[in-house]
Amino acid sequence: MKMVRKIAFANMKYHKSKNILTGIAIFLTTLLLYMVPTVGMALINGQFAMINELYPMWHGRYRELDSQIVEKLEVHHDIARYGLRSDVGKIKDTKAEVMLFYMDKECMDLCKIHLAEGRFPEKSEEIVVTKGILKEIGQQGNIGDTIRIPCQIYRNGGLDFAEEKQFVISGFLEDAEMEDENRTYSALVSKAFFENEIPKEQRVYRFFFQVKGTEKNILTDEIEERIENIALQFGIEEKQIKINNEYLAANYIDAAFVSIITGIMLIIVFAGIITIYSIYYVSMGERIQEFGKIKAIGATKQQIRQIVLWEGLAVAMIAVPITIIVGTVLAKSVFLGILKLYNDESFMVSTIDVLFEKNQVQIYYWWIYLLAIVVTFITVYISLHKPMRIMAKVSEMEAIRYQMGESGGRKKSKKGYRDITVGRLAKIYLSGNKKKSFMTITSMSATGIFLMVVATVLACATPEESANASLVGQYEISIADETGNKEHPEREWSNIQQYNPLTKELEDRIEQINGIKTVSAFSEMYVSLVDYENIREGILGIPEEYKDTLMDGIIEGEVTYEELCRGDKVIADQNLFRWYPDIALGDKLKLIVQDDDTSYEKTVEIAAIGDYPIGFTNFSFLLMAKDGVETFSEHNLHFYYHVLAEENYNEKVKMQLEEIIAETEFLQMRTWQQSYEEHKAALALTCGACYAFLGILGVICIMNMMNTMIHNVHVRKKEIGMLQAIGMSDTQLLYMLQIEGVFYTVGTLILSVGGGSILGHPVYQWAKQNGILNIRNYHYPVNAAIIVSVILFLVQIVLAVVIAKSVKKESLIDRVRFSE
Amino acid sequence: MHKIVEIKDLVKYYQTGENVVKAVDHTNLVIERGKFTAIVGRSGSGKSTLLHIMGGLDRPDSGEVWINGKNILELKDNALAKFRRRKIGFVFQDFNLIPSLNVWENVVLPLGLDGRKVNEQEIMQILEKIGLADKRDAMPSTLSGGQKQRTAIARALAGAPSIILADEPTGNLDSQTELEVMNFFKRCVSDMGQTLVMITHDETIAQMADEVILIEDGKVEVRS
Repeated sequence: MKMVRKIAFANMKYHKSKNILTGIAIFLTTLLLYMVPTVGMALINGQFAMINELYPMWHGRYRELDSQIVEKLEVHHDIARYGLRSDVGKIKDTKAEVMLFYMDKECMDLCKIHLAEGRFPEKSEEIVVTKGILKEIGQQGNIGDTIRIPCQIYRNGGLDFAEEKQFVISGFLEDAEMEDENRTYSALVSKAFFENEIPKEQRVYRFFFQVKGTEKNILTDEIEERIENIALQFGIEEKQIKINNEYLAANYIDAAFVSIITGIMLIIVFAGIITIYSIYYVSMGERIQEFGKIKAIGATKQQIRQIVLWEGLAVAMIAVPITIIVGTVLAKSVFLGILKLYNDESFMVSTIDVLFEKNQVQIYYWWIYLLAIVVTFITVYISLHKPMRIMAKVSEMEAIRYQMGESGGRKKSKKGYRDITVGRLAKIYLSGNKKKSFMTITSMSATGIFLMVVATVLACATPEESANASLVGQYEISIADETGNKEHPEREWSNIQQYNPLTKELEDRIEQINGIKTVSAFSEMYVSLVDYENIREGILGIPEEYKDTLMDGIIEGEVTYEELCRGDKVIADQNLFRWYPDIALGDKLKLIVQDDDTSYEKTVEIAAIGDYPIGFTNFSFLLMAKDGVETFSEHNLHFYYHVLAEENYNEKVKMQLEEIIAETEFLQMRTWQQSYEEHKAALALTCGACYAFLGILGVICIMNMMNTMIHNVHVRKKEIGMLQAIGMSDTQLLYMLQIEGVFYTVGTLILSVGGGSILGHPVYQWAKQNGILNIRNYHYPVNAAIIVSVILFLVQIVLAVVIAKSVKKESLIDRVRFSE
Repeated sequence: MHKIVEIKDLVKYYQTGENVVKAVDHTNLVIERGKFTAIVGRSGSGKSTLLHIMGGLDRPDSGEVWINGKNILELKDNALAKFRRRKIGFVFQDFNLIPSLNVWENVVLPLGLDGRKVNEQEIMQILEKIGLADKRDAMPSTLSGGQKQRTAIARALAGAPSIILADEPTGNLDSQTELEVMNFFKRCVSDMGQTLVMITHDETIAQMADEVILIEDGKVEVRS
């Protein structure tokens, strides 16, 4: 055994250049195996730590609950902790939105709401406010000071008439930057105030809670199931339930998340295995004679196998520890680099940074070290298995007679070319080394295919399309209505209809703005669904210019636009069935239409089911032709103006539209640009992480090609020397190497781009169905395909030049004399 | 006298550890056109180095190598490669055939590299002369040592070079095959008028040469 190891180590030193190459490949692959999970886990940990820092910690929330259900829920055996919150009212007549709410201490704890100073309101007149609120209502005060607030209390399902209340400030909530930006604030009142102001039967609660039994390792799915089961027991509808997915994922085991991480790890392991296997396959096959000689002087098959194994393992034993040290240093820098990249753009990322400084984000895990080491050594062993068998099988005579490159050729003769050119020389070499070429191209393509599939998903996730899906046109002007506000009955849609500002004149004015192309008016009518507890839904009227969009969106059933103009047939958006699973295609829905001060019953048939973007439906589940909706009332039912402009964003146009909107309090506007910016910010981190992953895969792919090309020259050093001795010029050598490189490049590109394109489509469909990254339309990843092609070609060209130059480092005669 | 090769004050030293090996030491030499010149000498005397520098495979430390009136040491790498494939034919002791090419392809290789069209008849004549006409499609791995060396000779002759440089071409061959190869070389010189410079250890072969040069310690000692 000692001798076996001695030979193996001597071999390792003798084939230094080859083993350095193999060592680099092992180094890079191990680095990936270590870095991807380490940096990935650090980012996930950072995100989870950020969630635990910023996000509320309730598991589930039920809303719109009455006192009776709350009392039952409080004693439910599956609920570990709970807190209550109720909206009490609003502060009247400020430009800002100031909500008065009551929340018990447990709920504040679950929602991570902390007082900046002072104490929780206990007496009826006590209130906790923010400095921002005082500024909005134009008052000043400190703890113990009295303030007077005109407010409207929620009673009978809406906001009651305004009344001025006197409060004593008992504390201040922390001012949040977002609240100031959006001018939406919350003030906390006491339980006593809440109970004094709102009669018990009119009280509506939000119930925040954690379920029991989460101490042990529990799946997020199980928690969700329990939340849904409790809801089912008390008849709480799906739309009243909110699950705190972010908190659950950060603190419990998410099966879907674990499978995604496992999938990514498997891909890296697979890429690593095929790369190292390919490298060993390419390098060991050429050493038959060397091992044959050892066998001829008496080594047994077992010993030969051990020599091959030990040599490979020795390289890994040097490469792996170096990788682990380098990886440990690099991981932290890469993680901090990613944070720095997005630090300015995202408050969440800057929170992760702060948490990292406080040592609350773990980067290093023993199991990742173990995984990287074990997988590398297993990979090296698997990769060495075949060369071990081949070397052990070689007969002594065969090995001694073996001339480099001749053993593979089982052919005794072949019909050759009449003339030999440099191109033909390359072709002959490649066709004579089919297995090696196949192995290289296959291993490179495997990473290439995955790269293309991920690139397809990323290409489909565009902030432009997400913005397009969330808004029709570049500007959406809509009615700002409010229901049940007694102080402002004029804000009821049924009232606005009578002096609807979305008139033909307004439409013309908007169309005359320079830069505006068209304005399309969508109508809306609110109706109550008689058979579904009189729940209010909107029926959206689609104008004729959007007829094609309406018809193209139908996924089930049949109806014409003309039929939809009659007002007795509707298309149901497929999301309707999530909330009303009992409704089916062909059902007749009984509606109560509230028109002006009167109401009447009407029946509509669900003639078709459609799939439309939110920007088109504006969350209305029932769609009709505009003329159809307008049969419901004699008033002007225009609810949305979808404005198409020449440019996606133009400051002047926006300002002009804002001026028009400011003329009335009943209009509001959303812009495409605003939606685009929101989606862009949301996509930035995901895309950044994915592109980093793709970059790493690209490095694996390129490393593989480098190895094969360098090896092809190394093992043919003598042959190339010979070719040069008989007159091959440096230019011809470079040309030959480039042809070989182009073969690998083109082969890899055909398989990667072809296979990636074929596999990319079903993955896109899966992503679309699961709502991943708001994907709606398929886009071929042209940029990725071009970048991958250009990089591969460039690398291959540079490699050929570098290799051709490196060949010249050794004198021609030394290469001609070279023997394995 | 028609000289084809003229070597002037050629020097090539090697550093091995602390010792300097004088492989070629201020050597001057003239080789005549159409003659068979044998270079003999002990192992390590510098004969192979001299032959390699003469063929442009190695660069000297100083000196000049004139072939056909051109100092080949002044040529850049690409030009030297062109010169080699047009004017010089090499034959090595261990054949150095390209294993993935068959006999025919190996033979026409220098022509292909030079971008010349292959005259099939001429190449067939060479193959017939060296007795490999029936092996034109055979792969090198299926050939005997003699057949391999004959293929290497055919390759050296295919481009019709002015000079053939052979480094112990019969060193790996049995005596019968050695005789075959040498007869073939002799015919090349007599029939085709080519110049043959051959390194050999074999006295019998040296006796077949028109001129014998003895190299000792990197210097030409005796010419006969």
